[in-house]
Amino acid sequence: MIPVSVITGFLGSGKTTLLRSVLRDPAYAGSAVIVNEWGDIGLDHELLETSEENLLGLANGCLCCATRGDLARTLIDLAARRRSGAVTYHRVLIETSGLADPAPILHTLLMDSSIAEDHRVEAVVTVVDALLGAETIARHPEAAQQAMLADRLLLSKTDLAPDTSALEARLAALNPGAPILRAVQGAIQPDALFASAARPAALQHWLGAIATPGARHSLGVETISILREDPLPAVVLPLFLEALAEHAGEKLLRMKGIIRVAEAPERPAVLHGVRHVLHPIQWLEDWPSADRRSRLVLIGQGIPQWWPARLLEALEEEARG
Amino acid sequence: MNPPALRALLADSLTLWGVAGRVDIADSGLKITVGDQVLHVAQAAPEEAPMRWWLISETRRRPAASMLGLLRSLRYALNATSAEPARARVAAPS
Repeated sequence: MIPVSVITGFLGSGKTTLLRSVLRDPAYAGSAVIVNEWGDIGLDHELLETSEENLLGLANGCLCCATRGDLARTLIDLAARRRSGAVTYHRVLIETSGLADPAPILHTLLMDSSIAEDHRVEAVVTVVDALLGAETIARHPEAAQQAMLADRLLLSKTDLAPDTSALEARLAALNPGAPILRAVQGAIQPDALFASAARPAALQHWLGAIATPGARHSLGVETISILREDPLPAVVLPLFLEALAEHAGEKLLRMKGIIRVAEAPERPAVLHGVRHVLHPIQWLEDWPSADRRSRLVLIGQGIPQWWPARLLEALEEEARG
Repeated sequence: MNPPALRALLADSLTLWGVAGRVDIADSGLKITVGDQVLHVAQAAPEEAPMRWWLISETRRRPAASMLGLLRSLRYALNATSAEPARARVAAPS
């Protein structure tokens, strides 16, 4: 499986600078890079020092809407060329345009079976300008959306902004589970950014945001947390996910959870979804920490605070008969 | 499920669907009022298993075998479905 990571961030946030830095790392130099540029003339790809064969530009449209089909075709074509030996790469890095919504891109990566048979999504990294990020998020919903969907947030241009505490607080409110990393001139250890977000350690960080069950609000976005002591009957999980997708799918931006299932309490089930697209339930060999409670974090807009917990309780009650 | 818990879930569901209405506890179960439309939700009798719920309007009694079915029927009866129902889609295993 070829790991795929998405680098997103608002216009001018420093995505290309980051990518240039990452590609200088020997472990990442052989990556295939897909760059989506907004406008008739693509420039960003000119700034990247990588081989011609491994660099593809998707211009004239935003990756999240106009050129999603192009992304699918590009990945499939690349994988075919890799199989034939025409190109060599061990991972794919996708740089979105500055206005892109990462959700439809993830949807394409996860749902297109011809992509998924060769690729796995590792991480969504959102670059945030340390100097202008707070204002950008306040004024542009696209920037807030990019922050909300991140597995990791990277503050760029930190040398220009001595105090980033207000921005970090805003980012933590938007996406409490994503670690906030810092870069100067794009310099950062790539592994810290692109390690699989589904690993237990990464999941643990995401879920560590839960202090008490309930909801937090920021910029019209709610972070809803559910914490449960008792294990859940396994049959409840698909019913809950189905109801969540059906009734709140359009309002649900991101969902991650680790669930203690009554039938297999030693093997936690990991839930992971973007809008109404859900990853297959993943079963871990063991709990990532001593905390064995079920924890679920939902980030959404317009979902009543207690609706998910009430739904879960109703379904559980039915399952227990 | 006790009536206050069911009432809270259904009231939240109306909010989630963008429906302005009220849910009250009534003798038969719950009474849902949305404008001129009145619906009742009643728990099915044990002998009606596997049915668990009834959604009752002036003209029709719809059975539901689960909370999932009840919510779907209620949303449909209130004409509060989106143009494209968002069914859960499971990504291909990686």
